[in-house]
Amino acid sequence: MKLTEQQQQTLRAAVDRIIPQDDYPGAWESGVVDYLTRQFERDLRPAFDDYCNGLTALDAESLARFQQNFSQLSEGDQDHVLRLVETGEVITMWEVAPHSFFDLLVRTTAEGFYSEPEQGGNRNAVSWSMVGFE
Amino acid sequence: MTKYDAIIIGTGAAGGIVAGVLAEAGKHVLLLERGPALSFSEVGRDHLRNQRLSIYGHNAGPELEGNPRVFVDPAGNQRTVQPHEPDYHNNAACVGGGTRVYGAQAWRFMPTDFRMASTYGVPEGSSLADWPISYDDLEPYYELAEWELGAAGDGTALKDQIPRRRDYPLPAVPSSPQTVALKSGAQQMGWVTSPVPLLINTLPYGGRDACIACKYCVGFACPTDAKSGSQNTMIPRALVTGHCKLTTEAIVERIETDERGAVTGVSYLTREQGNVKAHSERAKMVIVSAGAIESARLLLNSYSPYHPNGLGNEHDQVGRNLQGHLYPRAYGLMREKVFSGIGPGVTLATTQFNHGNPGIIGGGMLADDFIKPPIDFWYDSLPPDLPRWGLANKRFMRENYTRVLHVRGPVQDIPSPEGRVTIDRGVRDRRGIPVARLSGSTHPATVVAAEYMRRRGEEWLRASGCETIWSAAPGLKLSGGQHQAGTCRMGLDPHTSVTDEWGRVHNHDNLFVVDGSLHVTNGGFNPVLTIMALAFRSATHIATAHF
Repeated sequence: MKLTEQQQQTLRAAVDRIIPQDDYPGAWESGVVDYLTRQFERDLRPAFDDYCNGLTALDAESLARFQQNFSQLSEGDQDHVLRLVETGEVITMWEVAPHSFFDLLVRTTAEGFYSEPEQGGNRNAVSWSMVGFE
Repeated sequence: MTKYDAIIIGTGAAGGIVAGVLAEAGKHVLLLERGPALSFSEVGRDHLRNQRLSIYGHNAGPELEGNPRVFVDPAGNQRTVQPHEPDYHNNAACVGGGTRVYGAQAWRFMPTDFRMASTYGVPEGSSLADWPISYDDLEPYYELAEWELGAAGDGTALKDQIPRRRDYPLPAVPSSPQTVALKSGAQQMGWVTSPVPLLINTLPYGGRDACIACKYCVGFACPTDAKSGSQNTMIPRALVTGHCKLTTEAIVERIETDERGAVTGVSYLTREQGNVKAHSERAKMVIVSAGAIESARLLLNSYSPYHPNGLGNEHDQVGRNLQGHLYPRAYGLMREKVFSGIGPGVTLATTQFNHGNPGIIGGGMLADDFIKPPIDFWYDSLPPDLPRWGLANKRFMRENYTRVLHVRGPVQDIPSPEGRVTIDRGVRDRRGIPVARLSGSTHPATVVAAEYMRRRGEEWLRASGCETIWSAAPGLKLSGGQHQAGTCRMGLDPHTSVTDEWGRVHNHDNLFVVDGSLHVTNGGFNPVLTIMALAFRSATHIATAHF
């Protein structure tokens, strides 16, 4: 269960738009991709193909609209593409329903960011200091 | 000669008490539990796999593999569900059952809760009924449960609504900033409030330490064993007598009967060195305490030529009236931080609206909430109009996790006979036993009450100083889950009930059900103390009258 190099790059950029950096780390820096990599071997194994297809389609959608892969777009354009995926207004062929992929991306990013560090994400329990849980 | 006086199936809120009472009365007891005994670290602190947020599994069982159920939605679509899915209506599967990981709210029902049909009449399509016993019959056993296990509360606070002869053995949990805000809101509206009673040692009690106010109560095990469940109270007491044998990871296949239909014992399966081993054990009596879904399943699976529809099911009553609670909830944003980080987190309740609401059958208690891990808060508590991603979402979490005030509460379920447990002989668990099939829903009157309680929750938050408020009331659905009850209701008439007032199955001398299945109605409260009180009452009766 391994993403391609390109899917990795797309994932890294996408999770950082779901939970962006401000004066607290964003999703990638806090370890969400480590959380997901671990989960692809475990509970998200059945969703792995959907994840891969969604990331590939996210790039195809970005290329069709902006002639660049998702990770190369500006943050504003990345958000624009994500909003279209969220609402299903895609212009390319998606092998996974865009809104299902989007829902999966959002909730698994939040899981990695806000659950306990032992799951692989939330490095140094940074989200817990941020919200005031600890 | 039989080896055992009694075989008890299930070690949860009721089974542990029955084992303790019988063993201390000198009876020889075999106590069977489908799950393992779990240590504190085995239960762990997994934020995504616990009884409260079970996205990917459970920390206290059952295992995801090999324990399916069948769920039928209101449109009649049937599917197989796994233990971590909401439609499974899970309760923990380990020594202590749900009490291993529960929040331990220790509510007594109100006197009116035992007389629902007399008080309100029976709405069309509902099986609402009075209990065959009254609050006064159960009161001494509520007291016993509070003192034997160790309940913390304020006995003077609700004495007009819920009479009691004796105070709680332990003082109530201390207040936090949210308590102060909610108390002031309730006072402005003239609502009655009280501290939330809990089976948690606020001081050392029963040979166990006091609560250290950690953030992991409901859904998790207690680090100091201050939370009182079957596993650290009545089961150890049963075992120390030397009269009780506890066998874990024992799956009961069926209750055995002889050629005249009389109960003789049980057959069950264990795993030994990787192999499944079948056992058959005889006893003078069998007591089923497996929870409302699994108790009904076992009775239905114990069919024979003499009992073709299952045990106790001559009148098609076993498994009907499955009820738990719909849980309306409201959230509001306070200017100041109200999160103290001091567990358990639940502190204050109002019982103003359990009864006497115009046009409503029943009602319920509302209280603040246990501390929620941030991912649980993210899933459960965000305003519906907040973007689910991006900086706006992150900022809301950052600024408001500690400023959101929550109230929620269980609404008295108006039962429907169509909300029920049957068995599906086409779907089997890992041992080949037909699984529980859940179908139907609560009665629409429950939804009306839930909507009413949601509005009361909003009012409470507004009066307490919240500026922005959001809320949710559940729609018409099956209610069961951790508060599951009602599937083997007690009653006087064998045509409309499964057991007598002691839990003895009609037409059987030596078969009892003792757990939430007996509840005729389930109150507008967390039901566990009522399950415990009934267990003390039935067990005391069984020990004196049935040997």
